[in-house]
Amino acid sequence: MRPRTLISPTSARAPRTPRRRILTAAALAPTAGLAVIALLAGCSASAAPADSASTGASGSTSAKAVTLDNCGFDETIATPPKRVITVKSTSTEMMLALGVGDRIVGTAFQDGAVPSKWKAEAPKRNDVSDQMPSPESVLDLEPDLVYSGWESAFSADAAGTRAELHKLGIASYVQPAACRSQGAPAKLSFDDVFGEIDEAGRIFGVEPTATKLVAAQKKQLAGIHRDDRGLTALWYSSGTDTPYVGAGTGAPEMVLEAAGLTNVAADVKQTWASLGWESIVDADPDVIVLIDADWNTAKSKIAQLEANPATANLAAVKQHRYITLPFAASEAGVRSVEAVDSVATQLAKLKLG
Amino acid sequence: MVSIASSGRGGRSSAVAGIGVDARRRARRRTAVLAPLLVLALAASIVVATTIGSADLAVGDVLRGILSHLGLGANPLDPLRDGIVWGLRVPRVLTAAAVGAGLAIAGAVMQALTRNQLADPYLLGLSSGASLGAVTVILLGVAVALPAAAFGGALLALAATLGLAGALGAITPTRTVLAGVAVSSLAGAATSFAIFWSSEQDSYREILGWLLGSLAGARWSAVGIAGVAVLVIGIPLLLSGRILDAFSFGDTTAASLGIGVQRTRWLLLGATALLTGALVAVSGSIGFVGLVLPHAVRLVVGPGHRTLLPLSALVGATFLIWADTLARSVFAPRELPVGIVTALIGAPVFALLLARRRSEA
Repeated sequence: MRPRTLISPTSARAPRTPRRRILTAAALAPTAGLAVIALLAGCSASAAPADSASTGASGSTSAKAVTLDNCGFDETIATPPKRVITVKSTSTEMMLALGVGDRIVGTAFQDGAVPSKWKAEAPKRNDVSDQMPSPESVLDLEPDLVYSGWESAFSADAAGTRAELHKLGIASYVQPAACRSQGAPAKLSFDDVFGEIDEAGRIFGVEPTATKLVAAQKKQLAGIHRDDRGLTALWYSSGTDTPYVGAGTGAPEMVLEAAGLTNVAADVKQTWASLGWESIVDADPDVIVLIDADWNTAKSKIAQLEANPATANLAAVKQHRYITLPFAASEAGVRSVEAVDSVATQLAKLKLG
Repeated sequence: MVSIASSGRGGRSSAVAGIGVDARRRARRRTAVLAPLLVLALAASIVVATTIGSADLAVGDVLRGILSHLGLGANPLDPLRDGIVWGLRVPRVLTAAAVGAGLAIAGAVMQALTRNQLADPYLLGLSSGASLGAVTVILLGVAVALPAAAFGGALLALAATLGLAGALGAITPTRTVLAGVAVSSLAGAATSFAIFWSSEQDSYREILGWLLGSLAGARWSAVGIAGVAVLVIGIPLLLSGRILDAFSFGDTTAASLGIGVQRTRWLLLGATALLTGALVAVSGSIGFVGLVLPHAVRLVVGPGHRTLLPLSALVGATFLIWADTLARSVFAPRELPVGIVTALIGAPVFALLLARRRSEA
């Protein structure tokens, strides 16, 4: 009898064979951790393929209503949103870049501090959540738009499904480069990124600002010196045992190409992917781009590379040929051109051979 | 299904008791043929697996590179390629062999001690405890080496399980399993909470790899930990076959054969748990090896532990080497946690075994 009381949740189910019940519970217990992980995993795999080519708004500049096919979800935004909750830094930064930061009523799952150039415009930060917000915390702020850098924000266990929000009169919008469920393009390009800025301009009713911003970014991009030394690069995002690296179809590839670098993981048809160290050591990249985040610093990655005897002999590690980028700039968005500029500037300072 | 679990005790003992002289002789003959073959297969697997990988290296160069580290001849590989072979592949293959052998031994011993066909090395809350230790380190950035934390977590879980089972009276198989369930659930909940509460951004990926079991981080230190554990704990366990045979007939029979049942069970459970804890520390909780392989070997050579244990160890080592080789090369340059591969192969094998048991019953 006594053991039974110890595991009342399982014994409550009662039936005939005690041993089998025990075994079932034993088998289930370790998977609990995995279930949570799976939830979190769903939240990530961040800036996945875009379908911005197909997201062209049909609404003209004169009509206020903007009709969108956003990640396969038909969304109509009748008037420019005034109360916005942003999820992830890319959406917050897009709004700041368009000068509509004052419409942000809450932020969630931010990747770090707002860059200093936007500090003045940045709203008093009202963090709904460090991670994905709950539906209730979203509704509590009575937003008219939830604007997310990750599609996974719109699920029942995060900010709420898009259909649910729609019923409550709350529009939802995903940065098109982060669409995953539908319309993933073979490869992200700067045209997609500029298309996103234009689309955001239409949504917030600030088309002229968006047009100006795109023109400025195009000019900046055209002015960046493309390295012509034929160098290869590894985009090292996170991970120790199996490094998580920028692969062939997402923002990392787009930025590296624009800076004149060849991504060693270009053949992997993913935005980001978990690779084995062996293939990276085999490729022996000329430079390593390190993504710097509060939770996974560039410094910790350098330490990791130097401590691992297999990677310590890489040319880039031995000669400290590192380029660092802040995490928020590593995802597709309004800071992508800035990311290219930063990579190119750091790259030009590196002496090779 | 019901009959499988509940017939564990009766089914096994009658299998042992009912084995005829002929069958026993046949099993012995099979073992005599199998043992040397399996030793050869393991040795060949270690050599062949080191020549496979995402980097395109010539087989001869790889082998000469390895020989040079053993003091034979010059190394034809440049430092980078040598790093791939001697810094990544060789320690990984050797860790896989040690972990595979250790898990198979631990699983077989655990199944005998608890007289439970579905017992595996992680039964006593060990993997949950180790996971809790590992997740704490990964998420909270506690300044302890991950293997040490995982090992510590496993030991705490073991202490809790045995303490709980002991507090309930004599340590019987059922009480031990029940206590393990309680401890697993608690540690599992704490792990889930830690992940849910503090997992930032993409740190979940590292945790996921760890929870699924992965040998991607196996370096020479891992070879040391797993190798020493298998040599110091696994080999003595291999020699406990006679005692385990007695246990599989039940406590009363074991006692009548002159075995101090309580003390021996404590000792064997503790040793198995230490071994498992060390293995979990370097590889995470790799599933199915410790659960399925002893069954597969038992079907071929019979239930006698004196042959079952060493052959399971050989099969386990060879199996995990190949599972890990698949994990790191099938989707190269991408990698899978090896636990996915062992489960992908292990689950159908296990299903077949279950179906076969059912038709026998």
